[in-house]
Amino acid sequence: MRMIFHLLLLLFFIYTGLTAEYQVDKSQKNLVKFISDAPLESFEGVTDKIDGYLFFEGDNLLQNSELYFEVDLNSLDTGIGLRNTHMRENYLETSNFPFTHFTGKLIHLEKTSENSYQAKAQGKMFIHGVEKEMIIDGVLMQVDDGFRIQAKFITPLSEYKIKIPKIMFFKLDENIQVEVDFYVKRVEKP
Amino acid sequence: MNMKSFYYLFIFTVLLIAQISWGQEPRVSWQRHTPATQPDLQLFHSPHGIDLPTASTLQKWDIEFEISHRFVPTTSSGIDGFYGLDGPVNMRLALGLALSNQLVIAVGRTNYNDNLDLGVKYRFLQLRSKQVPTVLAVRLGGAWNSDPHYREIANRSKTDLHNFQAFGQLIFNSSFGRKLVIGLVPSYLYNADIRWGPETVNTETKDILRLGTLIQFYVSPLWSVLIEWSPYLAGYKRLPAQENNPLSFGIELETGGHFFKLFLTNNQYLNTSQYLAGTDIPVENNDWRMGFMITRLLKINPKR
Repeated sequence: MRMIFHLLLLLFFIYTGLTAEYQVDKSQKNLVKFISDAPLESFEGVTDKIDGYLFFEGDNLLQNSELYFEVDLNSLDTGIGLRNTHMRENYLETSNFPFTHFTGKLIHLEKTSENSYQAKAQGKMFIHGVEKEMIIDGVLMQVDDGFRIQAKFITPLSEYKIKIPKIMFFKLDENIQVEVDFYVKRVEKP
Repeated sequence: MNMKSFYYLFIFTVLLIAQISWGQEPRVSWQRHTPATQPDLQLFHSPHGIDLPTASTLQKWDIEFEISHRFVPTTSSGIDGFYGLDGPVNMRLALGLALSNQLVIAVGRTNYNDNLDLGVKYRFLQLRSKQVPTVLAVRLGGAWNSDPHYREIANRSKTDLHNFQAFGQLIFNSSFGRKLVIGLVPSYLYNADIRWGPETVNTETKDILRLGTLIQFYVSPLWSVLIEWSPYLAGYKRLPAQENNPLSFGIELETGGHFFKLFLTNNQYLNTSQYLAGTDIPVENNDWRMGFMITRLLKINPKR
């Protein structure tokens, strides 16, 4: 009886102790960048308003992993106030869809150096009310108490029902390049 | 079952219940802690109507370059004068700089009387009502007529104090739905008639109060129509060729960093201290001038 009890106790503590949740570390210099490279004009929109988490079980990042990251689109700064307004009101419609998010899981990890992994995440990207399956390649770098995450990918605006006026004055690229570079740190369950 | 076994069983049951409850908790503790950013209200898309200011401002360190024309001959000049486009023109060049998201300072010059004005606009209140969002701003400034064309003061020094004017405008903007925006701009002009001074019989300083009104309807994200009228409320309005109320109407096209306005107007004056004094052609004459305004936004923030 005593042995069974101790075994159960051990399993209990092992199980509860081996899940890990990492949340975006807002004290770090996080960056989300949208790059439009249209023929007449190139510009970037940047923000540091990214939030979310990376969760996995055990010490294997792939085990039952789950991730969710969102970006506050109202905070996007393209450098010119009027262009920000146009992006928000005419194209992203942030009054209806203030956040864009990616939710999914890690599906591939390859160690490239002592503290660095080449990673692949599969999930759904939500932009402008439209959700699309997506696989994103990125890099995970182990830092003090968490990870630095970097990724680049392309979002075709038409797939997310964002219409670009077909007149010569408008200078927005159909394919927006997105770059993220941010930090997550381990949190303890309350 | 002895006491020891009972004790172990009890402890195990407690752990089991705790484990089950733990298992039912969400796996993840993350929650959104901060709501989405609320951008400043910019009800009119442009910081300007045709003559009147709106309560909309620029983003900090935005620079705005403006070029405006009023063709002096009217459309009644017919094809011989190309409906006024043959000119001459009164024109204004201006440069504005946003010192913060609420504060814009702008300097502009027009060739009429070589009037140079400096204005500061400050947006001080935003009411985020769902039905009628409203923004309030104030604009204060002064103008220097460095080369007035009036015969009465031909010998006056360019820097004579009587060549200076001052103005103040309180700006109320409200939108009704997403497409219709209305602006009311009670405006005060001090020293409306710069001819008065020591060299003239009447030395009393003149001033005038007008109620600027601006209505703009946004047809699409690119196009809008607008109309502007500034009726006289009180004060002095006998400045020659400026006895009437300015009325203008036209269209606006906006892109990433530009506004283009094309309009018809009875007003040939561009700087604030001039159109507030009045215009020459009465609306009843149904005789109009063509005009345009182009603004371009630039950025000086070295980080961008």
